[in-house]
Amino acid sequence: MWQKIKYFFKGFLGSFKESSTEFIEFEERELENIFAVLMMGSFIGIPSPPTTLLIRLMPHMVREIYVMQRRAVDMDDILGEMAGLMDIE
Amino acid sequence: MKDYFLPKKGFRVIFFIGKGGVGKTTSSAAVASYLSSLGYKTLIVSLDPAHNLGDVFMLKLKDEPKKIANNLFGMELDMEKLIKNYLRNLEESMKYMYRYLTVINLEKYFEVLSYSPGIEEYATLEAIREILQKGDEWDIIVFDTPPTGLTLRVLALPKIAKIWTEKLIDIRRKILDKRLTIEKIHGERKFVIEGKEYKLPSKEEDDEVLKELRNYKSEVEGVLESITDDAKTSVVAVMNPEMLALYETERARESLHKFKIPLNLIVVNKVIKLDMDLPQLKVKMETQREVLKEISKKFKGLEIIHIGMYEKEPRGFDMLKEFGKKIVES
Repeated sequence: MWQKIKYFFKGFLGSFKESSTEFIEFEERELENIFAVLMMGSFIGIPSPPTTLLIRLMPHMVREIYVMQRRAVDMDDILGEMAGLMDIE
Repeated sequence: MKDYFLPKKGFRVIFFIGKGGVGKTTSSAAVASYLSSLGYKTLIVSLDPAHNLGDVFMLKLKDEPKKIANNLFGMELDMEKLIKNYLRNLEESMKYMYRYLTVINLEKYFEVLSYSPGIEEYATLEAIREILQKGDEWDIIVFDTPPTGLTLRVLALPKIAKIWTEKLIDIRRKILDKRLTIEKIHGERKFVIEGKEYKLPSKEEDDEVLKELRNYKSEVEGVLESITDDAKTSVVAVMNPEMLALYETERARESLHKFKIPLNLIVVNKVIKLDMDLPQLKVKMETQREVLKEISKKFKGLEIIHIGMYEKEPRGFDMLKEFGKKIVES
């Protein structure tokens, strides 16, 4: 019985935890996206930092490049993502 | 003897800049030859993609220092090879990404990168940086540069690169800050892609990106420091007694001033000196006189040397040494 109540609270608090960081995670992804786009600016014709730097950073930018690509794919549903964040159904 | 040609703090770096065809290569080779004959271990490097340093010494030079004479070594940078090396390094260091990140077509990235704007300038800067890092092997390093435009771009780069890196460090720290906040609530986070797990770094000391950014910043600062230090670096502008060359040198001086790079000497090369009046050359001589007057007016306070037109192109070590003596000792 106690065990069940414990699990219930754990799940209950877990969902709070999850939603508490939603915004920060969104911000984090945005920043990662900006970072990757800035680094790879030469691909889309915006001023870009030294190519050397890109060459040296790319091996460590697996996540950022992935986030950037996802962002580009989801570009058509930005409003949807915002609405999700704000709990608008 | 001009002391800005001699090493004061460690080694001395001398850049020769100027419009195309004014005699930068010959003057730089001459100065290098003379300084080496004084006993200074000298390296002369051609940064110009259209190399002719080897032609001046009547030798074939490569992208490694080659002995030309006692104490004198020369090399010509191979831009294409540099860029290729660059990209090959990238490809190698990214092999592990290839395996897990098949989502991205990396080959296309490389292709675009090798044509990305400015890559030549950055490759040149990188080469200069590498040479300066190993500068202690030499007493004097002479750079023969490509025509003014490209050279000024290259000399401007360290400052630009520094600004970029500082901004990127700012963003990176913000990202890490967010990650740390999330981590405090959820515990350590993993990023899973194609079955491979990556730990998401959230502390500044764990983050490879930030580490690389900081390394790069300190490297660029090193270059910036040595090219703006007049005890280490001198710049010699070479020009001909012509209006166009004068305008370009003036602009170069302004740019150098903006980047706080010292300009020490102006060599007016190929000045025609005649003992008698030649009616065919009368107009030419008059313009020359006017330009020379203009030069001494415009560059007041700077040292200016006139070098007469040689009957025969100065080539080969001995002739160059004589020519160099005129520049260094006059």
